Amino acid sequence: MHEFTDIELIELFRNADKKHYAFNLLVQKYREKIYYFVRRMVIIHDDADDVVQNIFIKVWNNLDSFREDAKFYTWLYRIAVNESLSFLKSKKLHSFLSLSSPEAMLIRALHDDNYFDGTEIQRRLTEAIIKLPKKQQIVFNMRYYDDLSYDQMSEILGTSVGALKASYHFAVKKIELSVFEN
Amino acid sequence: MKINHTISEQDQETDNLSPQLQLLRHEESGCQVPEGYFDTLSPRIIDRIKEKENRALSKSGILVFRKPVVWAPIVAVAIAAVLLIFIIPSKSNQIIPAYDELADINMAYDASYAEEVLLAESYSRDKEIEMAANIIPVTSSINVNSDVTEEEIVEYLKDQDLEIEIITEY
Repeated sequence: MHEFTDIELIELFRNADKKHYAFNLLVQKYREKIYYFVRRMVIIHDDADDVVQNIFIKVWNNLDSFREDAKFYTWLYRIAVNESLSFLKSKKLHSFLSLSSPEAMLIRALHDDNYFDGTEIQRRLTEAIIKLPKKQQIVFNMRYYDDLSYDQMSEILGTSVGALKASYHFAVKKIELSVFEN
Repeated sequence: MKINHTISEQDQETDNLSPQLQLLRHEESGCQVPEGYFDTLSPRIIDRIKEKENRALSKSGILVFRKPVVWAPIVAVAIAAVLLIFIIPSKSNQIIPAYDELADINMAYDASYAEEVLLAESYSRDKEIEMAANIIPVTSSINVNSDVTEEEIVEYLKDQDLEIEIITEY
């Protein structure tokens, strides 16, 4: 089966007859990458599912006006980052009302999540990531799990490569301390 | 996704920073999804898009009608239509049948109507004479029932102190 490039899929999407077909292929191509990126940010499967759906709905609504001089996956990741942060912000408000920190709420949710069956060390790693500042968390997930280069991350986050390297280094050191030395 | 796979670069970097963390890097993360989750994701997204589009369509319809600029002329036209249909015809209904009744009567062949008209005319003539007799002062010497001559009228007017010239102009 011929594998379409992103540009080909976007062209197909702009053809009214092929819109659904092209969108399905785009979702199939990126669903797992985007899902796991979001899942590591929001922790719970149901929340990740909601956020992922919102991301692809945004893609559907805005792909017609997408400029082809930008890379599709950069654009998609940026939407994913923004949607995840918006979701966490709304969670923060809930945590303020429930008088517990957002991190504590996410750690509790991780323990209650039926769709997490990692080892104890994996659980501690996830908890350590939750405790990171949001920017470091995003940089760590993109680099450690998604294998993105600093140039790609720079395009997505609009941050210099130097600042991203520093963020990653700080994140790794904090996690190491939290997971292996406590 | 076309990612420049610089795994060795990433691996080396993480390994330099934390060898223990590097060992964990390629293990399963422990995050699971319900069975068939990814297969149903796309149709569920499409369903939500359709639902949102339908809601947006119905909302835009409601929003349009929320604007007075839109609904005020419609209401005005509706009120005017109601007036035209129910109120104005009911008034003209009171008038039109009267014309219709008159129009329906063929006066040339309606003997009873002709008789009535003649009776009414003679009655009104008698009434006029009676009224004239009452208006003319009793002191006058003119007999209303007899034929009045020109001299009698002049005489009468002289009694009423009117200018004779004016009378003669007739």
